[in-house]
Amino acid sequence: MLAQQARGFSFDFSVVTNNLDLYWAGVRLTLFIAVTSFVLATLLGVVIALMRLSRNRLVGAVAAAYINLFRAIPLLVFILFVYYGVRIAFGLTFFTALRAGIFAFTVQYSAWLGEIFRAGIQAVPGGQREAALSVGMGRARTFFTIVMPQAVRISIPPTGNMLIGMVKDSSLVYILGVNELLRTTNLLANRTFRYFETYLATVGIYLVLTTAIYYLVKYLERRFAISDVLSQATRRYSPFARNRYQRLRTLQEAVGGGSSIAP
Amino acid sequence: MAVEAERGMTDMGSRHEPSTSGAGVVEAVRLRSIQKYFGSNHVLQGVGLCVRRGEHVVVFGPSGSGKSTLLRTINLLEEPQSGSVVVEGREYGPGVPGEPKQRRGDRRELRKQVGMVFQQFNLFPHLSVLDNVTIALRRVKGMKRGEAELRAARQLDRVGLLSKIGSYPAMLSGGQQQRVAIARSLVMDPKVMLFDEPTSALDPELVGEVLAVMRSLAETGMTMVVVTHEMGFGREIGDQNVFMDAGVIVEQGGREIYTDCREERTRSFIRAVL
Repeated sequence: MLAQQARGFSFDFSVVTNNLDLYWAGVRLTLFIAVTSFVLATLLGVVIALMRLSRNRLVGAVAAAYINLFRAIPLLVFILFVYYGVRIAFGLTFFTALRAGIFAFTVQYSAWLGEIFRAGIQAVPGGQREAALSVGMGRARTFFTIVMPQAVRISIPPTGNMLIGMVKDSSLVYILGVNELLRTTNLLANRTFRYFETYLATVGIYLVLTTAIYYLVKYLERRFAISDVLSQATRRYSPFARNRYQRLRTLQEAVGGGSSIAP
Repeated sequence: MAVEAERGMTDMGSRHEPSTSGAGVVEAVRLRSIQKYFGSNHVLQGVGLCVRRGEHVVVFGPSGSGKSTLLRTINLLEEPQSGSVVVEGREYGPGVPGEPKQRRGDRRELRKQVGMVFQQFNLFPHLSVLDNVTIALRRVKGMKRGEAELRAARQLDRVGLLSKIGSYPAMLSGGQQQRVAIARSLVMDPKVMLFDEPTSALDPELVGEVLAVMRSLAETGMTMVVVTHEMGFGREIGDQNVFMDAGVIVEQGGREIYTDCREERTRSFIRAVL
């Protein structure tokens, strides 16, 4: 005992295992903040991206200014400004600490995501639009059935990175007294003086969360990848593909070969 | 130069029998005084062209001569600054200066009647071969899925790709992709098919299969306008052959144009490529 104290400290993880409920509550709030902000930011980001690409110059300029402004402000500064500055100056009682945080995340992340989506849309070759228009599709239909699905696929990896960033950045609202994972850890550590154990657990939890998101993104990428439904491998893989296979086979038999104008 | 192009157009009119003068009877497409600028670059300088039903028009000329732009004007993928496009008797585009403004057709209606095949195929990579061909039937014509798929499968069978209906474009060779693109256009029952250098992006060994499909299509009496560098093919199917240079139609005529042309510019171009 004495020797251990002389070395400074001993590890005792019971402080973590005895307070798993606290951690769990923290994780839930962290995920709530991150997911809510991210969903809102994604919706807003799509709007920003479309505005940015608008043929109306004014609309485009507004979106560009929005992106420029909110990317420039450090996230922590913005959170504090919304909660202590804007809320009090304008008497916005709606902004509880939690809502102020989510608002700040939504605004900032929508600026970043807007740029990702804009790039994704622009990365779809112009010939795709022309081909859709040439078969008589209108502008909106062309966008939603041809351009957007391809832009989504292009945008998935960078958007996944943003989601990982969002989970980590959500810890910043601890400064407003929101009891998410970081503040929970902080309180527990201050009470027990077990800084190493409590923070190590939190580091581990963030690692697990971001790794899970990484695999989710990888799954989505694969899900949106293409595969031949008539190939053996795909059919074994999914019953849905098996149904599709049957459909196509029936179709092939119904048409039969014969009227070919090919060599 | 505009005058020259207009003269070319009138020549066309007089060369064909006058009994069919009623507009829209045998005319599938007529371009009238098309003026197109890209910035200060005057790409089409008052071009006129008449395509009769069932006719195969071959457009050739050096790069930058405006032949692709001319083709893309027919379905208004390029909007000209002035001039009009008449398809099946209906007028589209901004109109010819000095003429009374008539009611213009909606360009989506125009595009439903005009099929287009691109140099880079432009198949939709996120859709299967079958869906590439059915999507316009379903989304533009509002056809039920079952019927659309049956029609699409028949069309894909025509181009010899019935076995590939479950594949995605990335899994096909360039030649196969271009044949799917042809099927995608044909399934809409267009009145006119436009081909914008359909074999220029293909490996030499794959050019043949695409040309074979186009040849059989020509034999079915489809009205076709083909921009191509395949002079041999042009000579084979071209009823009307159009040589363009620097934004004007320099010369146009029947098959004899390849061996016996009037203009020195045409002669030097043909000599260079043949």
